[in-house]
Amino acid sequence: MTNMIPGLWMILVSIFLPVIPQYFRQPVMLLSVAASALSLLNGFGVFVEWEILGNTLILYQADNLTLPFALIFHLASVLVIIYGWHNKNLMENMATLAYAGAAIGAVHAGDFFSLFIWWEATALTSVFIVLAGNTPSARSSAMRYLIIQVCSGVLLLIGASLMTLQTGNYLLTKLDLSNTFGLFIFLAFGIKAAFPLLNGWLQDSYPESSPTGTVALSAFTTKLAIYALARTFPGTDTLIWIGAIMTAFPVFFAVIENDLRRVLSFSLNNQLGFMVVGIGIGTELSLNGTVAHAFVHIIYKALLFMSMGAVLHRVGTTKASELGGLYKYMPFTTVFCIIGAMSISAFPLFSGFVAKSLIMSALGGQGLILIYFVLFFASAGVLEHSGIKIPYFAFFAHERKTKVKEAPFNMLLAMGIAAFLCIGIGIFPNYLYSILPYAVEYHPYTIDHIISQLQLLVFAILAFLFLVKFKLYPAEIKSTVLNSDWFYRRMLPGIGKPLFQTLQIVVNRLYLILNALFEFSTGRSKKFANLSYFKVTTPSFAATILIAILFVMLVLAVI
Amino acid sequence: MSQNNLKTLAKHFTRIIIIISILLVLIDFTFHRHAYFALEEIYGFPAFFGFVSFVFIVLVGKWLRKILMRKEDYYD
Repeated sequence: MTNMIPGLWMILVSIFLPVIPQYFRQPVMLLSVAASALSLLNGFGVFVEWEILGNTLILYQADNLTLPFALIFHLASVLVIIYGWHNKNLMENMATLAYAGAAIGAVHAGDFFSLFIWWEATALTSVFIVLAGNTPSARSSAMRYLIIQVCSGVLLLIGASLMTLQTGNYLLTKLDLSNTFGLFIFLAFGIKAAFPLLNGWLQDSYPESSPTGTVALSAFTTKLAIYALARTFPGTDTLIWIGAIMTAFPVFFAVIENDLRRVLSFSLNNQLGFMVVGIGIGTELSLNGTVAHAFVHIIYKALLFMSMGAVLHRVGTTKASELGGLYKYMPFTTVFCIIGAMSISAFPLFSGFVAKSLIMSALGGQGLILIYFVLFFASAGVLEHSGIKIPYFAFFAHERKTKVKEAPFNMLLAMGIAAFLCIGIGIFPNYLYSILPYAVEYHPYTIDHIISQLQLLVFAILAFLFLVKFKLYPAEIKSTVLNSDWFYRRMLPGIGKPLFQTLQIVVNRLYLILNALFEFSTGRSKKFANLSYFKVTTPSFAATILIAILFVMLVLAVI
Repeated sequence: MSQNNLKTLAKHFTRIIIIISILLVLIDFTFHRHAYFALEEIYGFPAFFGFVSFVFIVLVGKWLRKILMRKEDYYD
C-alpha cells in the first residue's frame, strides 16, 4: 500500500458516493478513512514520485512533521463522519470526504507544485461545505470564501514559480522573507492561517455552514496552513509578533459577538496565534508545542463546534440572545461542551494545558517576556470567550420556557469520543509527546505551573462572577460585529462602484461618439457591437479584476 | 421553582469559586513558586493578572461595541 497517496482513497470514494445507497454512505466513508489511515503505518521516507516534463514531483513523503498532522486529520475525519451520520445531504457528504482527503494529501506533498494542487483542492471542496449551509447568506459567503481561498492558491503558485525560476528548486524547504518568492508563499500561507487583517473569511464563512459542515471546516484548512508554515518558515521572527497579535485581538471581538459559532471562529483564530508564535520561535521545544497544540486544538475545537452544532440542530439557532437554560434538556451536550471549554482554557488535567505549556516554556526559555505575558493575557481571553461565554449563554444564563430534545445519539457519540480524548491526553500527555517531531523530555505537571495556571483561570472566573453581579457584563444583543471582511464587503465596493460607474459612463460616451463619427462619415446608421454588457457585477466581476491584477503581478515579476 | 434552580446553581458555583480562590492565594504563601520571569513569582501575581485581564477584556469589548456594532441585517 506504500504507493497509494494518503487521502486519495477518500477522494476516490467521495466521487463514487452518489452511486452508493444512502444507507451505506457513512459506513463506506468511514472505511475509506480507515484505508487511507493504513498509510500511517508506512514509516518515514519518500514513497511516490511523479516524472513530468523532465521534473520530479514528490506526491507522497512522510517524516516526523507529517505524522502528527496526518494522524489528527484522519482522527478528525472519523469524528466528522460519526457526527454527521444522520446527514443526508449528498453534496455535503461528498465535499466533506474529499476535503478531508485533500488536506491529508496536502500534508504529504513534498514540493510546492503538488502542495499547490492539494491547496486548491481543499479550497474547491470546502466551498461546497459552506454552500451546503443553504441560506442566501451562506451562498454569498461561499462566493467570498472561494475568491479568497483561490487568491491564496494563486499567490502560492506565483511564489512557487518564481522560486523555481530563480533557484531551480521547488521542493518544500526552509524559506525566509528576504526574497520575493518567500513573501508570496508567506502571504499565501498567511491567508489560510488567518493572519490579522487576512482573517475575515474565517469568521465570515464558518458560522454560515451546516451544524456538521462547520466541524469539518474547523479542523483542516487553517491547520494545513500551520503545517505549511511550520515546514517552511520555522524560526521566522516576524511570526512571533504576528502570532502574538493573533492571540490577543480576536479576544475583544469574541466578547461582543452574538452568534456563538462566530465566537468560536474568533476563538479558533486566537488559538492559531499560539501555534504561529511557536513556529516563530523555531526551537525544537516550540515546534513541538505548535504541533501538540494543533493536535489537541483540532479535537477540542471540533468538540466545541459539535456542541454548538447540536444546539443549532435542536433549537435552530446559535445566537446567544435566543439561547439559555438548555442544560436541563441537553445535559450530555452541556457536559461535553464544558469539557471542551475546560480543555481550550487549559485547565490542568485537560489537553490544552499539556500542549500550551510547551509553547509558554519555549517563550520563557528564550526570555521573550513581552510575548510571554501577551499570551498569558490571551489565555484569560480564551477562558472568557470559549471557557465561559459559550457554555454560559447556551446552556445557563436564564431558564428556557420551551422544551428541547437532547442531541441525537451519533452526535453525542462523536462528542463523547472527543471529550474522552481531551481528558485522556490531559492526564496521559506522554502518548501525545511521543508522536511529536522532536524528542523532548518535558513534564507539564509541576506544582509551580499548576498553581500559576489555576490562579489565572480561577480569578478570571471570579472576575466574570463579579462583572455579572454588578451588571457590568455586556448583555447579548442581536447585532453584526464588523470584522476585517468589512474592507472587501463594504469599503472596496464603496470605492470601486463609483470608479467603475465612471469608467462605464466614459466607455459609453466614447461609444456614442464613435457611432456618431461612423454615421457622419458613411451616412449610414449602423451600430458597433453592443456594449451594454459592460456593467459592474460584484463580486465575481471584482474577483476577476483581482485575479487579473495578480496575474499581471506574476508576469511582471517573471520579467 | 425552575427559576430557583438556576439561581441555586449560580449561588453554589460562586461559593465554590470563592473558596478555591482563597485557597489558591493561601497556597502561594506556603512555598516559593518558580517561574520563567520574576514578575510571575510575585505572590498572587497570576491571580491578580487573570482578574485584571478579564475585566479589561470585557470592558474594552463593551467599548468596542460603540465602534464595531451594527444592526443584524447590516450586510443584507
